[in-house]
Amino acid sequence: MRYDVVVVGAGIAGPIVARNVAKAGYSVLMIDKKWAIGTPKQCAEGISIKVFEKYDIPYDKRFINREVYGAKLYSPSGYELELRYKEVSGVILERKVFDKMLAYYAAKAGADVLARTEALDVIRKDGKVVGIKAKHEDEPIEIYADVIVAADGVESTIARKAGINTYAPPHEFDSSYEYEMLIEGFDPDLIHLWFGNEIAPRGYVWVFPKDEDRANVGIGINADNPKTAKYYLDKWLKENKIPAKKLLEINVGLVPVGGFVKELVKDNVLVVGDAARQVNPMHGGGMAEAMEAGTIASKWIVKALEEENLSLLQNYTKEWWETDGKRLEKVLKVRKVTEKLTDEDLDLFIQVLSGADTEKIASGDYTEVIKALLKHPKVLLSPRRIKLLKELL
Amino acid sequence: MPEKIKIVVNEDRCYLCGGCAGVCPTLAIEVHSSGWEFIQDKCISCRICISACPVGALSEEPLEVKA
Repeated sequence: MRYDVVVVGAGIAGPIVARNVAKAGYSVLMIDKKWAIGTPKQCAEGISIKVFEKYDIPYDKRFINREVYGAKLYSPSGYELELRYKEVSGVILERKVFDKMLAYYAAKAGADVLARTEALDVIRKDGKVVGIKAKHEDEPIEIYADVIVAADGVESTIARKAGINTYAPPHEFDSSYEYEMLIEGFDPDLIHLWFGNEIAPRGYVWVFPKDEDRANVGIGINADNPKTAKYYLDKWLKENKIPAKKLLEINVGLVPVGGFVKELVKDNVLVVGDAARQVNPMHGGGMAEAMEAGTIASKWIVKALEEENLSLLQNYTKEWWETDGKRLEKVLKVRKVTEKLTDEDLDLFIQVLSGADTEKIASGDYTEVIKALLKHPKVLLSPRRIKLLKELL
Repeated sequence: MPEKIKIVVNEDRCYLCGGCAGVCPTLAIEVHSSGWEFIQDKCISCRICISACPVGALSEEPLEVKA
């Protein structure tokens, strides 16, 4: 079979690319190895309210479990910082429905979609990648395409087989484990995050409410930790006397949080989303980043096809690095500083901030936050803390 | 010579999340929707997959060298 574009992977980035390219009138096939697109997920399902308008995604209640109004942060000794907005700031999705609907929008726009179709390898002709060797159920298929989009998630197999270097060492990943479970005692209008080097080394524990008494309760820790993410989550639940007796679902996965693939295009092959490690390194969320990368990639795919000039695809690398890549590099810098915080630092900072102007913090004005912290006597007496904070300015 | 190992999966723990395939430097692990596959010839015994697994589903066994 032959298409203008073949997209490998129907998570977040894949369907955005497939939809946009199909809308422009080009033939697209999107394949996914899953037999039900969206299942299983590797996600805590929280996303900013802004993405729906920005990426032209219907605000459809069928995939929105709950609207949330902000976040509550907890320090290792129990200091709390609440950031609550008047308006809805985000939603907790149902990825099983959301991903399938994104694929449906792509299909409606004209893309072909094949579930249970696993990409096995690239097809090369005269050294150039000309398509994808795949398997639909047990039937081998060969998909020839001008442009190949590797949106195949953290495994990133197709990008790597096409010769794009997406490899990262283990400390650049977080290891995650999550229950969807019944849980009580947490404000279901906020997401809740617990920090601490004993609680979740380099990461955090989260409670993302899907209902008044039902939530995604998960953890991310450094992937090169000798203990497992599951170990730390079960320990946290036990220590906080939260019964884990009503478990509706369990999800696991690795999250690339340590930097981004440099070359996002090789000839006619593009890599997007988790496969390109386009994830926010601070919180480990990658859906909005995948949508942004998918939007930029699809723009240049359409231009390259229109002008019959595949070298234009390189502009995806350029534009991404000049925009979202630049933003995420800054976030990564902050993440690397926060990695050095001790439990005492976290206690102090959250304690100080809870008494500060939370409006400013909630509006995301980091500079004001750092300045507020720098004024505190316990910070002023510690050259190490001053150095850490100044790195963030 | 460093000891060569083979990676084994505890299928009752594995969620087929694909993380091990993602961290493997040599593409020695493939995760299909129907199962986990280890490709011995590509493995360099680095054990990265074992520590990265979120649920501890992977372990090592010494590779039996054919006499």
